[in-house]
Amino acid sequence: MRRLICLLVVSLFTTALAQQEQVTAGFIYVGPTDDNGWSEAHDAARQLLDDEFDWLTTIAVESVPEADAEPFIDQLVQQGANVIFTTSFGFMDATVAAAARYPDVVFAHATGFMRAPNLATYTAEFYQVYYLNGLMAGALTESGTVGYVGAFPIPEVKRHISAFTMGVRAVNPEASVNVRWINSWYNPAAATEATQALVAEGADVFAFTEDSPTVIQVAAESDLPSFAHYSPMLSFAPEHVVSGQLVHWDRIYRDILTKVHDGTYTAQNLQDVDYWSLLFSGAVEVGADEEVMINPAFEEPLRARMVSDSELGEVSVYDLVMTRLEQMSQETPAFDPFTGPLSDRNGNEVVAAGATMSPEELASMQWAAEGIEGQWPDEP
Amino acid sequence: MLKLGGWRLEPRPEPSRALVFAVSVGAVLAALFVTGLIFWAYGHNPVTAYRDIFVSTLGNFRGFAEVLRKTIPLLLAGVGLVLAFHAQFWNIGAEGQILAGAVAASGVALFVPVGAPWLLILMFAAGFLGGAVWGLLPALLKVRLGVSEIITTLMLNYVALYGVQYLIYGPWKGLSTRGMPISDTFVPAAWLPTLTGTRLHWPTLLLGVLLAGAVLFLLTKTTLGFETRVLGQSPKAARYAGINLGRTTALLVLVAAGAAGLAGVGEVAGLHHRLVEPAQLSLGYGYTAIIVALLARGNPLAVVLTALLLGWVSATGDVVRVTLRLPAEITGVISGLILLFLLASEPLLRYRWRRVGREAIPVPVTAPVQEGGR
Repeated sequence: MRRLICLLVVSLFTTALAQQEQVTAGFIYVGPTDDNGWSEAHDAARQLLDDEFDWLTTIAVESVPEADAEPFIDQLVQQGANVIFTTSFGFMDATVAAAARYPDVVFAHATGFMRAPNLATYTAEFYQVYYLNGLMAGALTESGTVGYVGAFPIPEVKRHISAFTMGVRAVNPEASVNVRWINSWYNPAAATEATQALVAEGADVFAFTEDSPTVIQVAAESDLPSFAHYSPMLSFAPEHVVSGQLVHWDRIYRDILTKVHDGTYTAQNLQDVDYWSLLFSGAVEVGADEEVMINPAFEEPLRARMVSDSELGEVSVYDLVMTRLEQMSQETPAFDPFTGPLSDRNGNEVVAAGATMSPEELASMQWAAEGIEGQWPDEP
Repeated sequence: MLKLGGWRLEPRPEPSRALVFAVSVGAVLAALFVTGLIFWAYGHNPVTAYRDIFVSTLGNFRGFAEVLRKTIPLLLAGVGLVLAFHAQFWNIGAEGQILAGAVAASGVALFVPVGAPWLLILMFAAGFLGGAVWGLLPALLKVRLGVSEIITTLMLNYVALYGVQYLIYGPWKGLSTRGMPISDTFVPAAWLPTLTGTRLHWPTLLLGVLLAGAVLFLLTKTTLGFETRVLGQSPKAARYAGINLGRTTALLVLVAAGAAGLAGVGEVAGLHHRLVEPAQLSLGYGYTAIIVALLARGNPLAVVLTALLLGWVSATGDVVRVTLRLPAEITGVISGLILLFLLASEPLLRYRWRRVGREAIPVPVTAPVQEGGR
């Protein structure tokens, strides 16, 4: 009996230890918190959760140089942070080093691929959303040329352009997507130039990866439609933004922080924790604005455009988008654009018939889908 | 000359060392005072704000190690700039020379299969050469064609920047980085040792201090140093004295730019352990080093102090932003203010006010008064 009580006391004690009474979460951002894009979205999630949980305190640092993030992590730990989120790929080396130095602190690194017992990785993945945007773009282009302004030619952006192009071609098999790179996450001047060049090339629908609404504004000057990237951008061109990609980082942060608080996640068991959050998780969404999935101004043309799909038969693009959205929002998606047989734009088979690309393969993919035109660094 | 009341502004023949020191310290204090006003405008008590900053940067071992780490590239590039400025070579290109050094060292680390001590030695040698070549180009253009080095060195910074980008997006992109624009991690033999528990790659710091001493020796005890000083004071006189201006300038710039190259080696071998984005590789150290060199007023040993000062300013960044929640730009504001006050204090060294006594006023010459003769 006495042993039982001892055991009980010990086990109670250890559960109490495992459960973090108070969680102090530090957030490290690569840009300013008012960038209209990446860092702003992370910070919005932080504020939401800070208000939501009594047990949570948050500290945020903006505009941290990527390769020199460690002193900032040191400061956050000194301020009492026991969970630290580093929210850009470039923080990887610093986060790995800091995780080794502070074995009792829980780390989570966005978009990275290196993990440790106290270091998880997470990303809100957009490729399904881009595919759906592509379906709409394919229906809206009259010239058969869609313009895409890309940030950096890295796998993430390449994957999104390929998914987008596959959507375009599913509706409009002859269309092409012309790509221009600006080699920056935030550069309105370069984005303006790239958009104007694409307009001159005949592109009449636009999508992009850059943290400002520049492409939308420049396209709207020529009365051309576009897709918002990353944050609600409908207000910048209410008659021209068709739809877009929205992110809800709070879905991922809520899950991680709650699990740290209840003791599910500790600084010992994160080696295999990787969030690859798709539509099902709610971390990503199709939309031009909150509550506006498709701009009503474009509903009519999307309903009017009919396509024949091998499994759905004759169907309007609007209904096709809705069906694919429903299929891809399931826990095990019933549809995935990266299902073979797929060839790259040079005609090489990249996915065999019946196979679907794994998250690992998607994370490092370099090939360009059929229909993409323009430079493609590191093309296999 | 300007006159005010009984005072007159006149050129100062040769400012004393104590005065130079006092004016420099005054400029730094003035900059810190104005920064204090900025803290105050953000709602912080300047006294407690400075106390927090001092405690976390100088009050503990780790904080101080961070200050020293930030000092390293400023020291190496700063010593080089002092040398270049002595030769009247206005090198704005330390940033590019740092990158060139980093590229050369990374090339060795990634592709030369040699073992432990030799790899690092080879990396430093290659980095010195890389920086030197980057500085030699504008030196030759100046010596041969009279092209302004201010323009060429500045422009070469961008060439170096895009060169690094080309490498990490192209041929040197890592195989283990999933397509991300960084090189592979260097083999452990290419990592500089750090002081336990810190990120201070002390061999580079040691190298910087030794280099400062070596440059002092070069300037004061060697023929090249003598020629440099003559050249710096009057290129015409130097030419009359038979000094080969082109050769002297080129030699000095080689050493100066090589020193900046060494700073680049320290950053990749001591810190990043791979070639990264140029803006991440050097956080504007090449430009901050200009302030370091100007503040040292041509004295290579003083660079040790001024690099430490600017290193401290740059290390305050994380405290200022995490603890005081001030915007990221504040460290840039502090170094900018130091430079501003420094330049503004320059006339204090070159001119002085002198009280103009009655006796000093030239007496108008009048006709001698005839005495007697009545």
